[in-house]
Amino acid sequence: MADPMHQFEVQKIVDLPDFSIPGVGVIDMAFTNSTLAMTLAAGAIVAFMAVSTAKVSVVPGRLQAMGEGAFSYIDNLTTSIIGHEGRKFFPFIFTLFLFILAMNILGLFLVFTATSQLAVTATLAIMTILLVLIVGFARNGASMYKLFVPAGVPWYMLLLVTPIEFISFLLRPATLALRLFGNMLGGHVALKVFAGFIISLGGLAAGGGLGLLGIPGAAVSLGGVVALTALEFLVAFLQAFVFAVLTCVYLNDVVNLGHHH
Amino acid sequence: MEAEAAKYIGAGLATLGMIGAAVGVGNIFAGFLQGATRNPSAAGSQFTNLILGAALTEALGILAFVLGLLILFS
Amino acid sequence: MAAQTTHNAGDAHDGNPVAEAAEAVHGHEVPAGTTEVAAHGGEGGGLPQFRMEYWGGQIIWLLIIFAVLYALLAKVFVPRLRKIQDTRAQTIAEAVEQARTVQAEADAQAKAAQAELEDARAQARRLAADAKAKAQAEMAASQAAEDQRLNAELEQAEARIRGLRDQAMSNVRGIAADTAEAMVAKLTGQAPSRADIDAALAGRTTEGAA
Repeated sequence: MADPMHQFEVQKIVDLPDFSIPGVGVIDMAFTNSTLAMTLAAGAIVAFMAVSTAKVSVVPGRLQAMGEGAFSYIDNLTTSIIGHEGRKFFPFIFTLFLFILAMNILGLFLVFTATSQLAVTATLAIMTILLVLIVGFARNGASMYKLFVPAGVPWYMLLLVTPIEFISFLLRPATLALRLFGNMLGGHVALKVFAGFIISLGGLAAGGGLGLLGIPGAAVSLGGVVALTALEFLVAFLQAFVFAVLTCVYLNDVVNLGHHH
Repeated sequence: MEAEAAKYIGAGLATLGMIGAAVGVGNIFAGFLQGATRNPSAAGSQFTNLILGAALTEALGILAFVLGLLILFS
Repeated sequence: MAAQTTHNAGDAHDGNPVAEAAEAVHGHEVPAGTTEVAAHGGEGGGLPQFRMEYWGGQIIWLLIIFAVLYALLAKVFVPRLRKIQDTRAQTIAEAVEQARTVQAEADAQAKAAQAELEDARAQARRLAADAKAKAQAEMAASQAAEDQRLNAELEQAEARIRGLRDQAMSNVRGIAADTAEAMVAKLTGQAPSRADIDAALAGRTTEGAA
């Protein structure tokens, strides 16, 4: 029970038949608790959106104002970073933001956090980078190399700058995935560790004698858990926001390649 | 020295990388606050950049953290 | 699960001397697990996140769920929200436009009312000035008439006063002459001539009148 890593175990709920992709291998398509968390997050988003836009009116109700708030927040973000063409990518960024936010927040209420699975965050990051690459090549073709060759830099500096730019581009999906994964993992491990302190120190206090000293320690740990939970709510929002912002920035790099606005 | 002990020490050392991230993120917010108190009207428009910088800096600390966990649990 | 329990017991045993002591005191000595390495071996090695057998399923499920969510958002909810926002922007623009025309109208009306007010005020001022001039003229005329009447009355009264005084004066002269004659007769024993007395009185009166 005190193992802080136990919460990240993937467990099968319903075993579905395996699925094999030629060249990749057999994939276990079991419906796991990770899948359940993702489905719940997506369901929550759809339910929220359906309710908040059920009867739209010019003067919004409370729920509609919330839905519209999220909408215009991300809308302003995309248009301010990418510019006018950001509208084309808005649904993708909005979906990413809402999905990650819902998974993060649900992870604080449920026992399992889908975004603390590296498989999930890596998939999201690779999806984003693939979109960036596809958009970049579709728009710029062969002049994509300009991404690594900043304009107005003397050639001897390019020898240094180009490899750095290239490596940083290659590191983008890794940092994108690891940031979300690490934040969620670290936060939940810290929560679990502090919560474990309460139990073990409380157990000490139950023994009486010197062990009673464990009571203030347990109280401090409880305060720590409360404070960390509040912080985790902030982190849950912030990481979703950061993922959306970085997606916008990476898209902006290829959409407005060569002309900064 | 036991291999197990060396692993724990290594994991601890790996997480030292988070010091740099902590200093960096602190610097970013300090700079933002300095600028924001001098020109509060411009503070709101730079919020996205603030979060972006903090996130990019923090990523390196997270890398160190993940490396530490990898070493610890490998 | 058994491996898990042993692992935990081992953890508590190795990592927390206080706990160990407490356990020892109360005799809850759990049979210690073999070693740390063995306990971790039960977990399959490494973080649960790095167990590759679950990656494929998670990735495929994530892609499916993301695709469904994206389709729903992009085809249903984003257009709906976009529409309501555009409608609101349009409504606000229309309202602002309407307010602007109403404002202009009100401005014009206010200007007209102001002009009318100015007009009325000027007329009133003119009327007041006229009335004042007329009243003044009337007053001056009536005052002149009154003055004339009063002057005439004054004149009359003065004439009457003058008559009465003259009469009184002549009476006084007679009395003075008589008195003077009587006094001189008493003092000197002989009656003065009427002419002397008259001369003396005339000199006196002219002296007194002068």
